[in-house]
Amino acid sequence: MTTTQGWTEQHVQVAGTSLQLFRGGEGTPLLVFHGPEGNPGWTPYYEALAQHYLVLAPSHPGFNGSQRPAWLESIGHLAHFYHWFLDEQHLEHVHVLGFSMGGWLAAEMALMCAHRFAKLVLVDAAGIKPREGEILDIFLHSSEQLAQLACDDPRSIPQYEEWFGGTAAPELAQQNREMAVRLCWKPYMYNPALPALLPRLRLPTLIVWGREDRIVPVNCGELYQQAMPGSVLKVIEGCGHMPHLERPQEFLQTVREFLGP
Amino acid sequence: MFLMRFTERAYVHYTEEDVKESFRSAVRLTFSNAHFDPRLGADLYHQYLDEYEYAEEVGFDGLMLNEHHNTPTCMGAAMNLEAAILARTTQRAKIVLLGNPLPIFDNPVRLAEELAEIDMISRGRLVSGFVRGTGVETWASNINPVSNRERFEEAHDLILKTWTTPGPFRWEGKHYQFRVVNPFEVPLQKPHPPVWIPGTGSPETLVWCAERHYPYIYLETDVEATQDMKGIYAETAREHGYEPGPQNFGYLLRINVQDTDEKAREVARGYLVGNVGVGRIPLPVDYMSPPGYNSRDARFRKLGERIRRDPLRGGGVDTAAYEAILQANRIIAGSPETVIKKLRDVLSVVRPGILGVWTNDGSISHEDTMRSLTLMGQEVLPALREIGQELEMTDPFQKAP
Repeated sequence: MTTTQGWTEQHVQVAGTSLQLFRGGEGTPLLVFHGPEGNPGWTPYYEALAQHYLVLAPSHPGFNGSQRPAWLESIGHLAHFYHWFLDEQHLEHVHVLGFSMGGWLAAEMALMCAHRFAKLVLVDAAGIKPREGEILDIFLHSSEQLAQLACDDPRSIPQYEEWFGGTAAPELAQQNREMAVRLCWKPYMYNPALPALLPRLRLPTLIVWGREDRIVPVNCGELYQQAMPGSVLKVIEGCGHMPHLERPQEFLQTVREFLGP
Repeated sequence: MFLMRFTERAYVHYTEEDVKESFRSAVRLTFSNAHFDPRLGADLYHQYLDEYEYAEEVGFDGLMLNEHHNTPTCMGAAMNLEAAILARTTQRAKIVLLGNPLPIFDNPVRLAEELAEIDMISRGRLVSGFVRGTGVETWASNINPVSNRERFEEAHDLILKTWTTPGPFRWEGKHYQFRVVNPFEVPLQKPHPPVWIPGTGSPETLVWCAERHYPYIYLETDVEATQDMKGIYAETAREHGYEPGPQNFGYLLRINVQDTDEKAREVARGYLVGNVGVGRIPLPVDYMSPPGYNSRDARFRKLGERIRRDPLRGGGVDTAAYEAILQANRIIAGSPETVIKKLRDVLSVVRPGILGVWTNDGSISHEDTMRSLTLMGQEVLPALREIGQELEMTDPFQKAP
């Protein structure tokens, strides 16, 4: 097992704009896409993954420290942007792991150009309209309400207060929310064409979901699995929208086993 | 001075508890329309229209309407319909729409047609105001808040072109695309109906208005803050080669007149019961300003810092006690003599060319409203015209803005 060399925060140029990128570890590149709340920075689960892979965790354009090119207004545009990023970084055959909105992004990227990916991991991913239940309107709910709805049991997460309780960086939170609004407003958090397009993908795919996800219903995970022949759906019981925080051991073990060395 | 009469046409048949128990305790957007009884609504529409027609009778120059959605605080979700009715049932007063919330329309050409019909049926009495709409309008129409300002400006440009350029023409814009713009219905007024813009002082809007010589109507804003905002408008005006005057702006004020001061003070309490929702519960910030609705442009943020905070309002509601609001002349209530005196005090400082007389709202009764209108017609309006002449408060019909 290689120990991580530590991690860095960089800014790289893509499409004429500056992209904030957290980077650490060695091995097969693993592109990690955050969700609509923004980039949490170098987290314990990035660190754990960096033991085995070269983790690349960018802040999406418009989020955190990344600039937004004026033309970038949708998840589709964002997928093109990141292909551009992979081009400029000369990265081929990478793994990609996306949380929530980041999972939707990963699926769109895979559809555009599957051959540059080795494996795909979708975690409580947006992108497909559920047949049972609805994707929660995170923009209409208050941050207090979301803090309660985001996990099955908020008290089970040690960093809960730190990450969800405070208004530590209200300006940044507002900026991130605004960018998520720009990308996901309507149709809200899904692409109607996705279920029809996904069946042509032949990319090893793991879909991880918390059974009690109150943001993106587990039915969406089932629909992803049904749309992707050969994909594996792993549902974690007693877990909400954030298995990487709520069940870190189980989450990491599942992902590690799937991605391999 | 142009005197126009206003009310939001509120519906007040629900309780503070109803609001508190609702999603995010908000009276707008998510407060269930199960609380609305259309039988009462039907009566109210007729009552409000009766009041507007009477307002013309007693001498108002204009009848001002507004539009809001998903709220009991204003029943004008389709303001243009009320305008069309008044276009037929009134003869003389201007019909002042402040204003159509442009971003919520996916078809500005249709809006141009509607307004042209109103202008023709009224025989050229339309004043066509436009607004961005509050955040609530954006949520209700599901227009992306980040596009709000762009849609406002593009829809405005498209409507003005539709009114002034013979069709057919094409429009390939960022937010609107039309192959054949060619409505037969064009406004009577040439080059087009006047455009006035109401608001509470967004610097970006102030600058945009000044660039176009559009009068800006300050909606019941703090007097000192209003001077700050007028300064921003004036700076831009001067950059565009003109000096703005009273004809470039209006001021809306809650004014209720009764036979005695005591009666008026009692009646005017009703403004606070229902206009911003029964119970005066401040709205969640996200409701009025969803993410992306406000500008991040550093230039406008800087201008915004010049505008004093309103000490008596927050979250879309009056936050101060009734006495404080009266003291500050943010509601003017009294006998005709008292009201004339207080108005003279306010107007000599503010000096607008257009005065919006917000005669009633909330739970103020129809009977008290009609009495107020009668007394206004008899005593207050004539006095205001004298004050207007004395203080040279020219309006945009007397002098081009």
